[in-house]
Amino acid sequence: MNANESKTTFSRFSTVTKYLGRYRWYLVVGVLAVIGANGLMLVPPYLTKLIFDRLETGSPMSEVGLLVLAMIGLSIASGICRFTIRRTIIWMSRHLEYDIRGELVAHLLKLSPSFYDKNRTGDIMARATNDLEAVRMMIGPAMMHIANTLVVATGALTMMAMLSPRLTLYALIPALVFPISMNKLGNMIHRRFLKIQEHFAHLTAVCQENLSGVRVVKAYRQEDHEIENFADLSEHYFKLNLSLGRLHAAFYPLFQLVATSLMLVVLYVGGRDVIRGEIELGTVVAFFLYLGMLTWPLIAIGWVVSLYQRGTVSLDRINQILNTTSDIPTGCAEPKSDEKSVRGKVEFRDLNFAYDEAPILNDLSLTVEPGQTLGIVGLTGSGKTTLVALLARLYPVARDQLFVDDIDINDWDINALRRRIGFTAQEPFLFSATVADNIRFGRADASIDEVAQVAQLAALAKDVDEFPDRYETMVGERGITLSGGQKQRVAIARAAMIEPTILILDDATSSVDTETEYEINQRINAHAEQLTTFIVSHRVSSVKDADQIIFLEDGRIIEQGNHEVLITLGRRYADLYRAQVLAEQLESL
Amino acid sequence: MVANNYHEEEALGKVYDARLMKRLLTYLRPYRVAVVSAAFMLLVVSLLQVAVPHLMKIAIDDYIGKNDLDGLTNIGLLFAAVLVAGAAVRYGQTYLTIWLGQKVLHDIRQQVFAHLQRMNLAFYDKNPVGRLVTRVTSDVNTLNEIFSSGVVAIIGDLFTLALIVGVLLHYNWRLALITFTVVPLLVAVTFVFRAKVRNVYREVRARVAHINAFLQEHVTGIKVVQLFNQEDSAFRKFDEINLSLRAAHFRSIYYYAMFFPTVEIISTLAIGLVLYFGGFRIESGLMTFGELVAFITLVEMFYRPIRDLSEKYNILQASMASSERIFNLLDTSSTIVSPTSPCKLEHCTGRIEIENLWFAYNNDDWVLKDVSFSVEPGQKIAIVGATGAGKSSLISLFYRFYDYQRGSIRLDGIELKQMAIDSLRSHLALVLQDVFIFSGDIAGNVRLRDDDISDDQVREALHRVGFDRFLRRFEDDIGSEVRERGATMSTGQKQLLSFARALAHDPDILMLDEATSSVDTETETLIQSALERLFEGRTSIIVAHRLSTIEKADRILVLHHGELRESGTHRELMRQQGIYHKLYRLQSRKQAVRIGKD
Ligand SMILES: Nc1ncnc2c1ncn2[C@@H]1O[C@H](COP(=O)(O)OP(=O)(O)OP(=O)(O)O)[C@@H](O)[C@H]1O
Ligand SMILES: Nc1ncnc2c1ncn2[C@@H]1O[C@H](COP(=O)(O)OP(=O)(O)OP(=O)(O)O)[C@@H](O)[C@H]1O
Ligand SMILES: [Mg+2]
Ligand SMILES: [Mg+2]
Repeated sequence: MNANESKTTFSRFSTVTKYLGRYRWYLVVGVLAVIGANGLMLVPPYLTKLIFDRLETGSPMSEVGLLVLAMIGLSIASGICRFTIRRTIIWMSRHLEYDIRGELVAHLLKLSPSFYDKNRTGDIMARATNDLEAVRMMIGPAMMHIANTLVVATGALTMMAMLSPRLTLYALIPALVFPISMNKLGNMIHRRFLKIQEHFAHLTAVCQENLSGVRVVKAYRQEDHEIENFADLSEHYFKLNLSLGRLHAAFYPLFQLVATSLMLVVLYVGGRDVIRGEIELGTVVAFFLYLGMLTWPLIAIGWVVSLYQRGTVSLDRINQILNTTSDIPTGCAEPKSDEKSVRGKVEFRDLNFAYDEAPILNDLSLTVEPGQTLGIVGLTGSGKTTLVALLARLYPVARDQLFVDDIDINDWDINALRRRIGFTAQEPFLFSATVADNIRFGRADASIDEVAQVAQLAALAKDVDEFPDRYETMVGERGITLSGGQKQRVAIARAAMIEPTILILDDATSSVDTETEYEINQRINAHAEQLTTFIVSHRVSSVKDADQIIFLEDGRIIEQGNHEVLITLGRRYADLYRAQVLAEQLESL
Repeated sequence: MVANNYHEEEALGKVYDARLMKRLLTYLRPYRVAVVSAAFMLLVVSLLQVAVPHLMKIAIDDYIGKNDLDGLTNIGLLFAAVLVAGAAVRYGQTYLTIWLGQKVLHDIRQQVFAHLQRMNLAFYDKNPVGRLVTRVTSDVNTLNEIFSSGVVAIIGDLFTLALIVGVLLHYNWRLALITFTVVPLLVAVTFVFRAKVRNVYREVRARVAHINAFLQEHVTGIKVVQLFNQEDSAFRKFDEINLSLRAAHFRSIYYYAMFFPTVEIISTLAIGLVLYFGGFRIESGLMTFGELVAFITLVEMFYRPIRDLSEKYNILQASMASSERIFNLLDTSSTIVSPTSPCKLEHCTGRIEIENLWFAYNNDDWVLKDVSFSVEPGQKIAIVGATGAGKSSLISLFYRFYDYQRGSIRLDGIELKQMAIDSLRSHLALVLQDVFIFSGDIAGNVRLRDDDISDDQVREALHRVGFDRFLRRFEDDIGSEVRERGATMSTGQKQLLSFARALAHDPDILMLDEATSSVDTETETLIQSALERLFEGRTSIIVAHRLSTIEKADRILVLHHGELRESGTHRELMRQQGIYHKLYRLQSRKQAVRIGKD
């Protein structure tokens, strides 16, 4: 079990230790400075003893004066050392914080969507900020204090032992309490702090969700309920903090008690020895001063234990993310031929897919030739979005089931693949940036003319021209200051901007009126030869011109063919068509 | 690349520490007793602390010096008693202080959150959620220092200081005065430091909020980032923020690294002075050894609270930076509030009159221009129009999400602005164009936090919208888990769920903004017939692009560039051959040709 434990501790800290090498000079200099600062601080009590001896023997005051000057000089030197400690060790902790946060975010950016399906935004945010801070406290301040304590304790104890070994032994008896109480308290802190961090993340997530969903909250007058609910969470957080607070409240006095009782022992035993004439008064005074030096470092141990426990809790939480690997391994294959000759052929061979246990797509076989348009219709939840998401490798696909340009999708270099795919998601996500920056999101170097051109393609240009700052208009978070259809069209323009070979429009015009939709379809059709297009839609009008239409039900293709074929077939697609068009047709005739 | 001002924190003017502090202290008012007790306990602790060197002085001068072992034993026991008592009182004091601090944080956190709940939507349009979350969570936590180690501890420190000064003066006022000569130096150092560190802290808080906003946005938009291969560029953007946070931290470390050693050196200077001048006095027999030892211990003790005070003062700076932001938020009040004496609307028939309505989000960019129409009770009205015409904006005005500039909207004859917002909204239910699903379970998303809605009503509502088809697949029925933003559901499923939410709340007026745009036609037809029965006699307003959704409406209104251009039934409008006709003509013409061919 022990071996096991050390192993987990090792991997736990590797997140931190792998960066330490980079800052070894900070560490070396920092530790030297700690030794220097404390070594220098050990001398003044001795100087005090000398001064007292001089005073007792009545030596000239000039000697005393010199000693005093030496003391001040020493404290300046140790001040410089202390400056160096912070400048190196704490400095290093900020470096590490930066490194780890960078690593964490870089890792987050690479994690696949399935990770984000399972973890809440607020929780992830808490880990990258709140937990990281706890880890930093463990690395920086705790390390500084522990080094301090070690050096001071060794130094002071040596000096004390040199002055009087017996007195030193006596003084150490109360100090035995430390290891015992530390271990116990430490574990308790660990557990309670874990709860606090988890709850804090929960609190953040709830707050985050509430603010994101503020429209729903307001529309349904949930403000008071939300406030109540939040109050409960906050109350619970308060209680958890208090339970940790009880430990902290005990820590400090306890350690102080131990530290000062050392003084008591020295006072009594030392005093007795002085009375018996075994040692001089100066020795006892010096002892006091050394013990005085020990008091704070000893109290700091309590603090360090607590920081360490908090740090490991948080480090584990960060490692949880870092140890999650993306379930989408990237291949390296990329067609040798230059980009232009990429055809955009897509082939599904008996594709089966499930997010977890329940199968979503079943035995799906289908070939879409380069330049063809595939229309996908089907009931809600039948797997349309899933189908196109697989094509962009948002979720993992088993081998030999999905081919793009005759290459297994698993072999594709993921970036190369995605560079060829213009994806318009069903729910468009825009960044809080300008309209232009949103459109050229996939091609930052695009000029404003190019932006305007694709905006034209997406029938967005007219709207943008009416915005106060035109393409430089800021859209709010998620594009909140745009209308539903405007958001969708920005998303279409963004996909068109990267000049894809495969264009995926997942219900991309559901909030766009039919006239504008028609316009967009016309313009896209103009490029149709070079473009393999996947159109998912609930509107027959969007898919009826497709070369091929599939009707999905429960992840199976139940009808396949072009518009005419499916109409003639007279089944589900034809029903859909009738429901959407014929009724109206008859009426208006 | 991105226009940064949206993320940049609002520029902060000069802070008035005293004013901020005063305001922060008001949060302690309910806990006066606790504050006073904690401060009192601190006083006891300080007294006991000061007693330690005094006992030592007595032990040295009166017993060790006079070879009195029994006396030494007695004083030793007293010493022990003082230590234990000190520890006990300190425990009580620390606990009470932590309690106090956490309690106040709890209060502030609630207040900030509650305040956010009252803010109007224009505010949310302008502030990234990540920043607001930072206010409620980490900014509030930063205040901890003020209450748990700040206020009470400062009172304690000041008292200890006074006590030590008293004792020092009592022992030997000359030596004491010599010790105090370095105090002005200390004050000067603290002031210089303070000015520097405050700016740095402000910067730190701003960067932290920026990091949160970045994370919030990129975590929610991760698919887009990945689909467009922007992982690296997103990382570069993040790195910039991360770097600037580190730089701010570096600066603060630098100031701290300067500050503490300086204080240390000053205190050694004081001890040196004591030793030197104390030495003189011993030489001339004016002072005993015991006194000198006690003096030195006291001088060290004298500097500790001073050092602590200045350190605490600086911790306070960090908290001040946060409190500044929190108060800024609390001082921004919602521009949309209920009138002081609102008109009551007990029973809502659902008559709506809109007259000469003008509305703009900003200044004069009119989104709605002179819109007038009325809806009779029980009517089913459809609003159509090209994308961006202002349909959703019109709907949001009913809710007073935003306030219109001119004209009026009346519900049952009462102007909306005359009604309590809460009571107004209680009559309406809305399915938003942007569906929002909370994490939790299915039932929770339907009833929200309204416990009056029973499980059966939830099931009923889900059944009406045809969601039970999916429910069967879930293990826990309506208790099945739903992820953040409904991550594991299809878009249509989410829409159905939020539709069920509207039905379960059983409104007098139903508003559907593209409520079924992502739902298949089969399910939609099913919902429509259910609605017809369910909402017989109730007013509903429907926004949709899909013809099948609207054609059965009693009246169709056509919005065009914010103006109401046509109004009538489907037949009438088709006959008019205007905008409506144009909107749907393409579809029908082409179909007609096709059918003709078949
Ligand atoms: N919160 C906002 N702040 C500023 N401008 C906004 C805001 N919301 C919408 N707008 C602008 O107001 C105009 C009307 O938008 P609205 O959402 O009402 O259109 P819509 O008719 O619902 O369109 P769609 O059919 O695309 O949903 C648009 O030009 C849009 O950019
Ligand atoms: N990330 C996910 N994790 C687990 N299950 C999921 C996930 N996304 C979708 N599902 C489930 O997979 C099924 C198919 O969903 P999908 O989004 O593909 O449907 P869709 O055909 O696009 O529906 P819609 O017409 O509503 O957009 C649904 O039952 C849904 O609940
Ligand atoms: Mg879908
Ligand atoms: Mg809209």
